[in-house]
Amino acid sequence: MTSVLEGKGLSKWYGQVIAVNNISFNISTGVTGLLGPNGAGKSTLMKLFTGQLRPSQGEIRLFGEKIWNNYPLFHRVGFCPEQDAFYERMTGEQFLSALLSMHGFAESEVAARTEAVLEKFDLVDARNKKIAAYSKGMRQRIKMAQAMAHDPDVLVLDEPLAGMDPVVRRDTIRQVRAWGREGKCVIVSSHILHEIEAMTSTILLMHNGQVLAEGDVHQIRDLIDRHPHNIFIRCSDPRRLAEKLVGYPDVLSVRFHPDGGALTVESRKPDEFYDRLPDLMLQHDLNLEEITSPDDNLQAVFHYLVK
Amino acid sequence: MSAGHNLADGWRNVRTIAFLTLDTLFWSKKTIFVMLISLFILGLSILGRLIMSYHWIRAPFTSAQVFAALMSTAVIHFLVLFVTLFYGTALVSEEVEGKTLTYLFVRPIPKPTVMLGKYLALIWICCLLVLPTILLSYLILYIRRDMSQFLEDFRVLGIDFGIVFLAILAYGALFGLIGAWLKHSVLAGLVYAFGWEGIVSYLPGFTRKLTITHYIQSIFPHEDSASAIAMLIGQRTDALESVVTLVLLTLFLLATASLILREKEYILEQ
Repeated sequence: MTSVLEGKGLSKWYGQVIAVNNISFNISTGVTGLLGPNGAGKSTLMKLFTGQLRPSQGEIRLFGEKIWNNYPLFHRVGFCPEQDAFYERMTGEQFLSALLSMHGFAESEVAARTEAVLEKFDLVDARNKKIAAYSKGMRQRIKMAQAMAHDPDVLVLDEPLAGMDPVVRRDTIRQVRAWGREGKCVIVSSHILHEIEAMTSTILLMHNGQVLAEGDVHQIRDLIDRHPHNIFIRCSDPRRLAEKLVGYPDVLSVRFHPDGGALTVESRKPDEFYDRLPDLMLQHDLNLEEITSPDDNLQAVFHYLVK
Repeated sequence: MSAGHNLADGWRNVRTIAFLTLDTLFWSKKTIFVMLISLFILGLSILGRLIMSYHWIRAPFTSAQVFAALMSTAVIHFLVLFVTLFYGTALVSEEVEGKTLTYLFVRPIPKPTVMLGKYLALIWICCLLVLPTILLSYLILYIRRDMSQFLEDFRVLGIDFGIVFLAILAYGALFGLIGAWLKHSVLAGLVYAFGWEGIVSYLPGFTRKLTITHYIQSIFPHEDSASAIAMLIGQRTDALESVVTLVLLTLFLLATASLILREKEYILEQ
């Protein structure tokens, strides 16, 4: 596969703060997940991808060309920013057609593309509403819509699933995968592992401005699974549940919550544990009230990986 | 693609950016503040007119004198300065703070085009807020049964419009540049407008020529204290030279602002 986006010894710092530290990468067509906890340097890297920032050191090339101030290149790039920022008093339709018109399309083409993208992102009914009156999900959708309305070859999506309801989230995930299959280069960032897993298996794992790992998400999964995983469960009878759980070989320890209504289980195989839990609860007539995993965030994963 | 086609596309982009900029610029607290200044000026016009209407007060001034005083003090040295300062310095910073600048910077348009679009929005908004104030003041002070004075001074009103427009162009470009360049641009603008210009324009010698107000005073058709002093010390610049200087200065400031926008990185805080 040919490289679309290439970075060599790339660094970016803001004064004394290093956001991206001497990284090199090659990104090809298809979907690539940019994974890392908050502050890992993902957003800075995405701004370098889209020419909003100039590298402090090293170089970054898109289709073999430098990006900073290379305006014609932006015909081929779509960017969905993380921030919830809009021209609030414009209607959704005005917003989309204004941004589309900057790509040099004729007015009839702008109108047709606006119409198509409104339909694609289920915003037809809200087209004449001011963006200020949009719900969080609609705002997220229109942000995605402006990024892909001009049919770019490269789509850079910064935390695109944040704030979406489950149905729109599912549709967006499908859409991102479809773009990847169409041969576009889609770069998606997230700090939530299963969000990225749902969209792609190719990832770039970032931490403290550096690329920790590059490649298949399953390898990361394996790394995670090799480390004990904490799962917090609140249920109707924690003692009884603990009694049943300790018999499984992957369960390393069980700790009760001080209020007596919950427990924290340490498991070596979280996926198996999650598969098994519903049946166990049903079999023993236990009511599940809450289940969370303090380890189900990348910060914890990185602690494991960088140890 | 032909040069004409490129020009047409460029102009369309400038208009689109102006349209987007107006969304952030016009609907802000600044507009309420500027409207209050405009209302204050209109209030002064009404007061002047009322005083002149009561013959027993024996007002020691004419409509022309009140209008001239309003133009030289309230409009040129106050309203125009405030309106261009507030909106000019906000041209870029408002979109940096609002984090909407991203949408413009990831489009296939040169950043100087972005600056031009923003500047067009600035001129539009300033004219919209300033010129009707002048016209209404003129109408309030001049309309009466005998319209001879109204028609006689109409030419002066036209000149005033032209001068105010030139002042908006020059100050707008200057404050647009300061806004694109500096972080604390309002403070820097205030220091220039009410510090540098306020002091230097009254000093004899060449330094007067380093202010925008000097060239405006030089073509101003009314007598105000600053231009009276300038007349007294014989340091008015020729009218044509003043107009040309203001136009060239505007172009230079605008080009510099465009260059800054092109080369500067704007960090949108997360």
